[in-house]
Amino acid sequence: MSSSGTFLSPIQRIRIWYALLLVVCAVFIIRLFYLQVIRHDYYQKTALSSQLKEYQIPPERGVIEAHNGDSTVPIVLNEKLYTLYADPVYVKDTKVAAEKLMGAIGGEVGKYQTALETKNTRYVILAKKLSKLQSEQVAKLDLKGIGTREVPYRTYPQGSLAAQVLGFVNDEGEGKYGIEQALDSKLKGTPGQIRAITDAAGVPLAANEDNINVEPKSGERVVLTLDIGMQKQLEDLLKAGLKRVNSESGGALILEAKTGAIKAMANYPTFNPAEFYKVEDGNRFTNGTVSSPLEVGSIMKPLTAAAALDLGVVHKDQTYYDPSQYKIDDAIVSNIEEDGGAGTRSVRDILQLSLNTGATWLLMQMGGGEINQQARERWHTYMVGHFLLGKQTGVEQGYEASGLIPDPNDGFGLNISYANTSFGQGMTATPLQMGAALASVVNGGTYYKPHLIEKTISSDGKENKDYQKIVREHVVNKEVSKTIKEMMEYTIEKNSMLYGFKRSYPSYSIGGKTGTAEVAKPEGGYRSDVFNGMFMGFVGGNEPQYVIVVRVDTPKISGYAGSEAAAPLFVDLTGMLINNFGVNPRS
Amino acid sequence: MDSLACKTRQGTKNKTKHKNKTMTYSSSLAVGRQRYAARSQNITGFKSKDKAIGPVSNTIILIVLACLVGLLYLTQVTKTNAYSYKINDIKNKQAGLREEHDQLAIDSARLQAQERIKNSEVAGKLVSTVPSGVVAN
Repeated sequence: MSSSGTFLSPIQRIRIWYALLLVVCAVFIIRLFYLQVIRHDYYQKTALSSQLKEYQIPPERGVIEAHNGDSTVPIVLNEKLYTLYADPVYVKDTKVAAEKLMGAIGGEVGKYQTALETKNTRYVILAKKLSKLQSEQVAKLDLKGIGTREVPYRTYPQGSLAAQVLGFVNDEGEGKYGIEQALDSKLKGTPGQIRAITDAAGVPLAANEDNINVEPKSGERVVLTLDIGMQKQLEDLLKAGLKRVNSESGGALILEAKTGAIKAMANYPTFNPAEFYKVEDGNRFTNGTVSSPLEVGSIMKPLTAAAALDLGVVHKDQTYYDPSQYKIDDAIVSNIEEDGGAGTRSVRDILQLSLNTGATWLLMQMGGGEINQQARERWHTYMVGHFLLGKQTGVEQGYEASGLIPDPNDGFGLNISYANTSFGQGMTATPLQMGAALASVVNGGTYYKPHLIEKTISSDGKENKDYQKIVREHVVNKEVSKTIKEMMEYTIEKNSMLYGFKRSYPSYSIGGKTGTAEVAKPEGGYRSDVFNGMFMGFVGGNEPQYVIVVRVDTPKISGYAGSEAAAPLFVDLTGMLINNFGVNPRS
Repeated sequence: MDSLACKTRQGTKNKTKHKNKTMTYSSSLAVGRQRYAARSQNITGFKSKDKAIGPVSNTIILIVLACLVGLLYLTQVTKTNAYSYKINDIKNKQAGLREEHDQLAIDSARLQAQERIKNSEVAGKLVSTVPSGVVAN
């Protein structure tokens, strides 16, 4: 400062600048304090929201395999395909774009153009299930507003083979029907997770302690008991057999008598699971052999005979006088005309001639000579407690039905109702329930849970083979088992021409029983114009190896549905198993 | 004795005179040195003791070290992040190979399709035969 006080001295000027600098620094410090301390949480969140990326990694759905002879082959796999989409707002010249798309991936120009001209939307799907190559070709076109998106799909190398057994996976990734539904939790796996600080391009940066990287766990690999060769031949024979008798639908199954493993199971008509969305009739998805119970008709008689023999109320060589009809609760139980009217019959005649009165007589023996509470309760115990009818088998299929066995003590017309059940009317069961029950009777008396899964293998390689289970032992005693087997062999032997056997198989044990069941009307009573044909039997050598059940819905033929529609299919299947699938002959 | 006394007096006089003299910077240093200087003691050695690092130097060194550590941290972080790109590349390659493998598995399964085999040229040339008999054990 000068002596006059007008000018500041250099030191004073420096001090002023210094003070100003301090003020500016103070402003910065206060602002930084505000931003970094007071607004810390807010800015941290804002920063993380743009840098921290969190993705859920979808797991790969488990592959399904089946046997092909001694090896296994995948029959359901996963394939990444592409959906072609567009944002119509960005597509200026729709005709040119549509033509370019047609040139690259095929399709119709008009269809693309119409989709591209859709108003009031920012997203239209132009095509689905494009291959990777097609997707790359679309990318090369470099069309503004048009792109592809990767979508995982289930793929079926065997086409429609075993479609109803397998089921399908819907657009939401949920398994529907068949194995896909029953084992959805095992097949779908566990999603993984990535949470990481990323760069502008979204690449996760490793140097961050908050990063999370959990790998997805793929779904379990499922190995089925099915043999695809047998399945294919079964499907072809079923289709041809149904066509032969003018039936529009039906089903058949083959299971191993000594393990309960289902080797083939088919229904007709079927569908292509890769194009399930094209199916208009939802019934096509249903595995009828498991999900559609029906009144099974006379294929019940071997079980009625087995129960009576096991109870000891009849013996295998016993004869009785058959009056050809019984009057029970004001209703008449009678036989078909071809059975020859009243006469002395044996127990095996009941099966060979398919006598309704014979089955009723067996039931009467359970009640000491008449159908009464004891007879009903005893027969109910066998049906539900021994043959496990009226309850789900637990087979690995979606929508398995239980069937219906009437209560022995509750309802109207109990005696006639139970007389009907002795020959497979007035009750319902699925072909699988009947097949599993017959297997337990002819294999010596062990009820194996019918199963479609041989093993499952988790993503870390652990195998689970706990699918073959014994549900019940001593279904019937071994002597009864042998007797029923012989009686069913006798039935085939006596009726081989009727059933359509063109040649004999002396080295093999083949037994069976037809069933021609009345079809219930929804409003009550039975239709008189149509019947369902059933056949249940076995083929093997010293012991039954395979149990076969055939169902033919309302064939349009002049003869009996059981013997002339279902039995020829059984004959075809027996020949197929003997010729192509190594049934062990008698030693 | 007189001469000795005279010397002593003179010396005292000199000291007094010295006291009254104005101290300069160099003289003050000299006095300082003399204060600590002892007989046979090397002055140079005394200087080296006086060169200890002061608080300012300490602060600067600490700042430099902190900067170096920071720089080291930054290089390591950058290096680690550079690995992220390598990891990402490898993962992309792995995904590509897996996709290729899956596609091959699908193609292989399709080649084994029953319908394809049934309609194949080889199958078309097969002739149906009825078994002539069965070998029993």
